[in-house]
Amino acid sequence: MRRYRFFLDFAKEEEWLSEMIRQGWELTGTGFGYRFRKTEPQDTVIRIDFRIFASQDEFLNYRALFEDSGWKHIAGSRTSGAQYFKRMSSSSSEDIFSDALSRAERYRRLSRMWISMSVVSLVALLLLALTGPIDLRALVQPKLFYLTQGLWEKSGAAFWDAFWFETPFALFRAVLVYSFPLSLALYLAFAFKSNRLYQQEKNHEQSI
Amino acid sequence: MNRNKYLPLTETSFYILLALCEPAHGYRIMQRVEELSDGQVRIAAGTLYGALENLLKQRLIRSLASDDSRRKVYGLTEEGREVLKMDVNRMKHMVLQAENLLKEADGGRK
Repeated sequence: MRRYRFFLDFAKEEEWLSEMIRQGWELTGTGFGYRFRKTEPQDTVIRIDFRIFASQDEFLNYRALFEDSGWKHIAGSRTSGAQYFKRMSSSSSEDIFSDALSRAERYRRLSRMWISMSVVSLVALLLLALTGPIDLRALVQPKLFYLTQGLWEKSGAAFWDAFWFETPFALFRAVLVYSFPLSLALYLAFAFKSNRLYQQEKNHEQSI
Repeated sequence: MNRNKYLPLTETSFYILLALCEPAHGYRIMQRVEELSDGQVRIAAGTLYGALENLLKQRLIRSLASDDSRRKVYGLTEEGREVLKMDVNRMKHMVLQAENLLKEADGGRK
């Protein structure tokens, strides 16, 4: 079974996935949407860490540590960031974090990932704008999506023929031009939100 | 006393360094810390992994050759041992001062 959801807040994602596994749907992967397999209902919980690993050996070492302490790695890859763990038995440690600060720090790593995504899309946007493929003026002047010579001087049927003929191409260009600033804005918003979650959880530690 | 930038150690870092007086892999560290603290300090996997990463970055510990290809073995560096000793001295001093003053205060009350 596949489900499409989007979470920035690990605590909410953990709650949802734990509810799913208690109903007998165990997470198996997260590539495109969440993939589940049907099992008996399991009285357990799912916990999420966020880490990207420089080497496969380090990724194995990390998973071995969790498995030794009773947490089975069920989804996530070396470079995927989010790592999903299932509590194996009642002898497993209570949680995968033993203090609020380390639990908060996964949000800081998440925020950094969104910041690097923002930087990458900003650089791509600037390169495409400076070298020509994307004309940023079209964002405020939609007429620029149409490249037919003298289109706007035509009138009557000649205009409409040329206009409708080019519209699919113009829309395609528009999607391309808008997608870069939009994804940049989205990534920045995610970075901001996950950083706020980090600050909240960290301060939660201090207030205890 | 020469104050090191890593002092005072957090309880977690202190016990990890103490546990690593003998080289060990991650889970062994968790077990030793629990033993050494009489069950008072239990470090969960995610927290321990982050702490080990930090200590590696600060070069207070290093990873050693291991027979087990899946599990890294960690050990103290010279600096790690030094920092641990300095923190012990720092705490000894605190305990000594506290005991003296509390004794005096108790004596005065009688």
